[in-house]
Amino acid sequence: MKSTHPYQRDRALRKLSRTGMAICLTLAGLAATTLPMHAHAAKPDFADPEKVLRTIFPVAETGFDPAATRDLYSNAINEAIFERLFTYDYLASPAKIIPKTADGMPEISADGKTYTIKLKKGIYFTPDAAFNGKKRELTVDDYVYSFKRIMDPKIASTHVWLLEDKITGLDQLAAQAKKSGKFDYSAKVPGLEVVDKYTLRIHLTRPDFNLPMILAYTAMSAVAREVIEKYQDAQGVAMANPVGTGPFKLTEWVRGSKMILDANPDFHKTIWDFQASADPNDQKIIAAMKGKRMPQIGRVVVNVILEDQSRLLAFQKDEIDLFQLYGGLAPQVLNGPDLKPEFVKRGIQMSRIIDPELTVYYWNMRDPVFGGLSKEKIALRRAMSMAHNVEEEIRIVDNGHAIPLQYPIPPGVVGHDPNYKSSIQYNPAAANALLDKFGYKKGKDGYRTMPDGSPLEIVHTAQTESRGHLQAEVWKKSYDGIGIKMRAEFRPFAEILKAEKQCQLLQRISPWIADYPDGDNFMQLFYGKNIHMNNNGCVAIPEYDKLYEQSQKMAPGPERDLLYHKMTRIMELYAAQRLGYARHRMMLSQPRVIGHKKHPIMHIEWLQIDIDKNK
Amino acid sequence: MTAYILRRLWQMAPTMLGVILLVFFLFNWVGGDPAYILAGKMSNAEQIANIRTQLGIDQPYYVQLWIFIKQIVTFNFGNSWSTGEAVSSIIGTRLGPSLTVLIPLTIIETLIAIALALAIAFKRGSLTDRSVMIACTVGMSVSILVYIIVGQYFFAYKLGMFPVQGWGNHFAENLFKYSALPILIALAVGVAPNLRLFRTFVLDEVNQDYVRTARAKGVSESRVKWVHVLRNASIPIITHVMSNLPALLIGAFLIERFFSIPGIGREVILAVERSDFPVIKAITVYVAAATMFFNLLTDLLYQAVDPRVQLK
Repeated sequence: MKSTHPYQRDRALRKLSRTGMAICLTLAGLAATTLPMHAHAAKPDFADPEKVLRTIFPVAETGFDPAATRDLYSNAINEAIFERLFTYDYLASPAKIIPKTADGMPEISADGKTYTIKLKKGIYFTPDAAFNGKKRELTVDDYVYSFKRIMDPKIASTHVWLLEDKITGLDQLAAQAKKSGKFDYSAKVPGLEVVDKYTLRIHLTRPDFNLPMILAYTAMSAVAREVIEKYQDAQGVAMANPVGTGPFKLTEWVRGSKMILDANPDFHKTIWDFQASADPNDQKIIAAMKGKRMPQIGRVVVNVILEDQSRLLAFQKDEIDLFQLYGGLAPQVLNGPDLKPEFVKRGIQMSRIIDPELTVYYWNMRDPVFGGLSKEKIALRRAMSMAHNVEEEIRIVDNGHAIPLQYPIPPGVVGHDPNYKSSIQYNPAAANALLDKFGYKKGKDGYRTMPDGSPLEIVHTAQTESRGHLQAEVWKKSYDGIGIKMRAEFRPFAEILKAEKQCQLLQRISPWIADYPDGDNFMQLFYGKNIHMNNNGCVAIPEYDKLYEQSQKMAPGPERDLLYHKMTRIMELYAAQRLGYARHRMMLSQPRVIGHKKHPIMHIEWLQIDIDKNK
Repeated sequence: MTAYILRRLWQMAPTMLGVILLVFFLFNWVGGDPAYILAGKMSNAEQIANIRTQLGIDQPYYVQLWIFIKQIVTFNFGNSWSTGEAVSSIIGTRLGPSLTVLIPLTIIETLIAIALALAIAFKRGSLTDRSVMIACTVGMSVSILVYIIVGQYFFAYKLGMFPVQGWGNHFAENLFKYSALPILIALAVGVAPNLRLFRTFVLDEVNQDYVRTARAKGVSESRVKWVHVLRNASIPIITHVMSNLPALLIGAFLIERFFSIPGIGREVILAVERSDFPVIKAITVYVAAATMFFNLLTDLLYQAVDPRVQLK
């Protein structure tokens, strides 16, 4: 018996069903001409329950309380359920802020310290027992309450940095809560002025031109105080009862396994109206989506599939519609940058973006051997920087699915400069010459010693997983090329984080993904005051710090870009770290998915896409 | 009998104490500091200290150990550090899916292994016996990972006989639709070692005097096999099966992971990845308690199967 590929069977069935549909339509047409017309209930033009999107998470979620959620995937669900004052334009590149529940962009005072934000009227939370059967409208008080929750020490939110040291009076309220053990949610905060139900005036302690981006962050979503107080645990967190004003609501949740979200039938009217970026595919998306009311999709089913093979097979078998392709699986799906013919033949679509991330190789600037700002230390680090072939690492570790970075601000992020060229390039011959010049002599074993003859060995720390091992191998080769002895040390992630924050690691490959798409989020990685936070190389260069502080007072634009250039050159001069790469993010979708384009910052695109029910 | 049971229960106390100490010190020495993960990437020392206080891991070790012991005595392990879900709820909700796969698997696997062991042991040295033994050896030499990857690829994806992965809301759907392939794969892996072991148990009996006597008395071969031999071979078989039962509580890590079954095995891996100590210690303590309980039950069953066994 001849076996049939499931896809061929599907096609045959679809062909049959299309024929059947054609007959039915003809009959229906005949009936319509011969039978008297009856009144039909008008179908809503959005949230069609027959349009079901099946997608996956590769990691289990933890819970859905915007202030308390820590992981990416739970935040994706939060993004569907809750709403921020601002969000991102679906197609714009670099990412552009647009209003979400705000009624227009904020009014900013001349000194850049006061933001006046108007809220759209008539936005309601999805019904919940906490509201006692009444419709509950969203007001600016909900945002004030939600912002306060982030600062509540009891919740121990990881998002404190969004608001800390920014809003007049908020830090003081948090400090009081630390002393008293209770956060006073009724206390007025001078920096969060409620002008009326629909107007919020935010007073900042210093100018911050990234505030709209901060307000677009998922943790800054509005929650209703009644809901939190009804469902919160002893820590003040309500992870299992998310109630928001967003396009979807959580209908079913099997922890760590499955989430079903249904479209919110009361979602405030939002029409798909985005402008094309330079990407030629945008026109196709606009043609398919423009003018539609969002969301078109009526239901989203999210399955947690932890294993690569299971995810890929489920996608290939058409059990899921949307699938993020990681570098490790890419050879099974791609020929170089393009989809393999069998996927193209099936109409599989791919959206590829460069992640707004920077993978940086750092050396501990506080280390007595490799750190410091003296000439011979700078020469040593510069040589190590030049010894590493980033492109080779991309080829080996990520199967070529990343781009090397010349500038610390990656593409798609405000402040990126595609024309910038780093003064540090792969050049092992120059690296060797530099080490020779500064007296790092090679011994009989072929490895170099310090100029004073003491041993020279670097410890490269990586995670205990295959990626970490591969990266360590590539670095070993780089160090061998310049005669520096390297020892790899593999540790669990928690231990690495702990050691890193205490400036105890010598070298690591550290990825950083944008929290908000502005250059500041990357330039702060090397700011001296961020040591023990996210300045992992423990860099403290006074010239850099001075310029960084200056840049913080500036709005994005050519003037600030010039400053960022100078700061980047300073980092190159001291060879405090070597810039690495930004990986591709590739999303595959079934032919029935319409208008999908991976957004660099937003976690999900379920609101902006559609499903073709006939495919 | 009662005195024996009470004595055995009393003897469990030092064993449990050993488990508690082992888990506690292992976690604290090699488990990493979860506060650094929970604090997120933009955290400072003050926030990390705040989280450590909330988790109670800033307390001296003897205080943390005392809390752990109190949790065991009260059966209240608190909430997961990463999700906030009550540990009792985690175990309660994840156990069902694991048992949906593992109970039928254990029953079918044991029955098949016993039946085949009896069948081939009575034909020792024959072509059938040798072929089955070779097949078992080959089967056992292949990693379960290979069975899963190949089984999922061919039976689920290529042939479309089963879903690649998933879990539904109804028992029947889960058992017959989603668990069928995982059970088949686990059977392919599990029958071979059991069959070899049980065959040895049966072979130990077939040459005994009582078998010869039974045959001399004209007892039919099937009665010799299924009544006389099986009953005497039951004690080691029961020991083996019962010693595997506590494993039901920790699920089947790989099977659950590949087939997206929201069971306890997958939860254990997640808890380890997240340094979620409340979940790890609860499951470890329950498994230890179950192991001791099933050991006791095994001893009691010996007497039921063989009246000559005396419990002292």
